[in-house]
Amino acid sequence: MNLFDRIRLGLAVGVAKTVTAIVKSLKLGAASVLPGEISRRIHPHLLPLLFEQVKEGVILIVGTNGKTTTSLLLRTILEDCGKKVTHNATGANLINGLITALLADTNIIGQLNIDYAILEVDENVLPLVLRDCRPRYILGLNLFRDQLDRYGEVDTISLRWQQAIAPLPNNTTILLNADDPTLSYLGQNLTQKVLFFGLNEPDRYLDEIPHAVDSIYCPSCGHLLDYQGVYLSHLGDYACPKCDFKKSETALNSQEWGQILIGVYNKYNTLAAGLLAREIGISQENINATIKDFRAAFGRAEELTVKGKHVRILLSKNPVGMNETIRAVNDIKIQGKSSTTLIVLNDRIPDGTDVSWIWDVDTEKLVSLGGTIVVSGDRVYDMALRLKYSQETLEMNPNSFNLIVKENLQEAIKIALEKSPKEETLHIIPTYSAMLEVRKTLTGREIL
Amino acid sequence: MELKIGWLYPKLMSTYGDRGNVICLQQRCQWRGIDAAIVPLDRQSEASQFDLVDVIVGGGAQDRQQEIVMRDLQGAKAEKFRGKIDGGTPGVFTCGSPQLLGKYYEPALGQRIDGLGVFDLVTKHPGIDAPRCIGNVVLEITASPLAEELRAILGETPIAIGFENHGGRTYLGNVAPLGKVIKGYGNNGEDGWEGAFYGNAIATYSHGPLLPKNPFIADWLIQTALRHKYQEAISLSKLDDSLALQARKAMFERLDCANLVNTL
Repeated sequence: MNLFDRIRLGLAVGVAKTVTAIVKSLKLGAASVLPGEISRRIHPHLLPLLFEQVKEGVILIVGTNGKTTTSLLLRTILEDCGKKVTHNATGANLINGLITALLADTNIIGQLNIDYAILEVDENVLPLVLRDCRPRYILGLNLFRDQLDRYGEVDTISLRWQQAIAPLPNNTTILLNADDPTLSYLGQNLTQKVLFFGLNEPDRYLDEIPHAVDSIYCPSCGHLLDYQGVYLSHLGDYACPKCDFKKSETALNSQEWGQILIGVYNKYNTLAAGLLAREIGISQENINATIKDFRAAFGRAEELTVKGKHVRILLSKNPVGMNETIRAVNDIKIQGKSSTTLIVLNDRIPDGTDVSWIWDVDTEKLVSLGGTIVVSGDRVYDMALRLKYSQETLEMNPNSFNLIVKENLQEAIKIALEKSPKEETLHIIPTYSAMLEVRKTLTGREIL
Repeated sequence: MELKIGWLYPKLMSTYGDRGNVICLQQRCQWRGIDAAIVPLDRQSEASQFDLVDVIVGGGAQDRQQEIVMRDLQGAKAEKFRGKIDGGTPGVFTCGSPQLLGKYYEPALGQRIDGLGVFDLVTKHPGIDAPRCIGNVVLEITASPLAEELRAILGETPIAIGFENHGGRTYLGNVAPLGKVIKGYGNNGEDGWEGAFYGNAIATYSHGPLLPKNPFIADWLIQTALRHKYQEAISLSKLDDSLALQARKAMFERLDCANLVNTL
């Protein structure tokens, strides 16, 4: 770093730290984005300079679902082994959020003293980051349809990733989900070291491919892919009957691995973080120990006790996520351990402004098991309408399924808690901004 | 009575919750005691499947899927499909489907794809870096005789509400627009028109999905399909649409169209 860069870096860091202090002391917000924005204006190449200073390297985590949980697991594994880790834990995954997270751990002249930085990166921002930053690892979890209102289509995103990763140096290691055809194909066409994770557990196959599926066509030749079985959405064991494209060889045997939390999706998150930790050189024994004691990130299968009632919050941001949530909730409903669900649908920027995706969710499966479903959120009536159309007869049958519509979130939470019997679990299924609100109400404090 | 709902390429053309239109039609039939079966019209189906259906629903697709569909919808299938629309079979086609029914579509990447040419319209994608047309959309349906028939069902000016999210821009030739944009972009964000109407087929960028929040359009499709099939006028019993009404009201208020608030 030359002297000019060093001075400008110091200045940028100083200003950012001052802004953070002011924002926090005036309780204006979480200061998770603004300091990054301001300091980037002072020093446009701040992010690559910060990347260079991370001793063992930066780990970028991308994918539609599971970034936060995977990051948190990986971070915990590394910290349990005595590593110093920075993580953009607030889910601020655009450029300014990344800068803010790294700046928070610098000293006043902009020096970082950390071993690893784990950065969750928004799907669409990855190419921007890779333009001048050099991560040591990139972990690609999955690519589902999510917030198309902002980003366009899965194919476009994968093409942009391919173009952005291709020029990276050969000491970059890329870890990808072999069960996702788009990512498998991406990995097969990279020159860097690529490792794949995935499931080989046919007993976890779904009975049928769900409706909310994006990519069942061969990314190489466009022919319909042959699936031996599907684990979740379009993730599964597949091969192209026409060309030689097939699921990539995985670097691990998933049957030998346990998992964190509940649901197949968390098995994927476990394998992703576990494989990366192993590649870094952490022993299997240490990895397994952390997996066993892992606790959820906020809102991601997080469990709370509120007014004596057991509550589980299952953030669901898109059709695949919500289908998997319903699958997990139904497993518990069938055991008689849950009968009340609260769904909160918001349509703010972090949620995606287009709520049409709820019609791709198999809400029929949730409704068919009866119980009470309370709905709330900015688009409460859209959600209510979706549930109404999920029942076979028009008349609400009070013995099977009880729909309660509450515009006001506080009232919705209150009534859901009241309706949920003491020995059961109330499941709350919120979109992102709704999750923040729900959690704030339940815990009486903000997360960020 | 029974109705067969043809669903165009359910696996390929369902990007934005368009399944909701199929669910809405089927449920509104079944709640009234009208049998409603879904007939997938996809790559595996024979062209003769088109003969079976009384109403057709088509949704949106990503560019690659759209290309696969357009390559499949050729020859006998194309003829059958065209024949149905020309013959007055009602249908609702959102987002990618109108592009398919138009003369051609120029995607962001790759070659121009010829459409069926049933609707005299063309669609061009201005490139992957061009901003998409995204947001809640409100339109007044003006196409004749659809507007008059909807007015008869509704008792007032038919205002539709939905959400648009499209990269392609559509330009109409000699075909009536579906309606006038009140809020949003519509076909191309330039001329103030949204969608197209031909025979009894509705083409629109308005998903959301369209029918659950505009149940009068769903009922018009059912009614028209039954009339077409049984050759007699059929009036449908009224359903409780209070949730749809509230969903519309909330959005009209948010979009400062509160003067439209009583419309369902």
